[in-house]
Amino acid sequence: MPEATEVRKNATPWGGLLFAIAAIACNLAFFVRFPLQGMLPWLSLLFAVVAIIFLVAGLKRAFGQPHAYRGKVPSVVLTAIGLVLVGLTGFAFVSARKLPSAATAPQVGQRVPAFTLSDTSAKPVSLDQLLAASTATSSQPQAPAPKAVLLIFYRGYW
Amino acid sequence: MRPVAISVDTPEVSRDLAQKAGYTFPILSDPDAAVIRRYHILHPAGGPDGHDIARPAEFLVDSSKIVRWSNFTEDVRVRARADEMLAAARQLR
Repeated sequence: MPEATEVRKNATPWGGLLFAIAAIACNLAFFVRFPLQGMLPWLSLLFAVVAIIFLVAGLKRAFGQPHAYRGKVPSVVLTAIGLVLVGLTGFAFVSARKLPSAATAPQVGQRVPAFTLSDTSAKPVSLDQLLAASTATSSQPQAPAPKAVLLIFYRGYW
Repeated sequence: MRPVAISVDTPEVSRDLAQKAGYTFPILSDPDAAVIRRYHILHPAGGPDGHDIARPAEFLVDSSKIVRWSNFTEDVRVRARADEMLAAARQLR
């Protein structure tokens, strides 16, 4: 086997950085609603793990086989950037899932509590009113009673 | 099916949201999270300045106030999609 006469480029840390970028970019894709959206948190973790594998392999090449691969400094820089992105991905994963359980919330087949809350014009609106036919107002025509009401509780607009 | 959004935001904040996003469905305010508590979906100190907010939750409620479909996400980045909610509503006869 002939001895390596040429010092090769070390592309592995770049691969690691690309996977780290893909991991953090998964968080942007959440704004696009598509059927497999529920897989994105796990996909981001998978990309982060692959990124770490590439980054470690890249460092090993740069420092373990300096005769075969060049680029000690670039591999360290790329690993540092990659690890920051991996860290952010992990932080996003943990903080996005810090949600209390909804085990005691009304479940399918159970009756929900009635309520009366203010709408955007500070006018009180009850669940009974929402389930009933709406009377015509200046802004909206009369609507028949809906088959159902979809209550969407959200975190708020900030 | 009539969609209704509920959060701890004040009517002013919700009106701003409705205007910016062009929403015409009712958006209700539960500033003290009283109803959110009654539905057992409070996220204590979950707001940006540490105030109590709702965890994301969707309930499809029929005319007898019975839950016919619900969705409680485990990740704030993953929410019920419009097509899922419409499909659940279409199942009701």
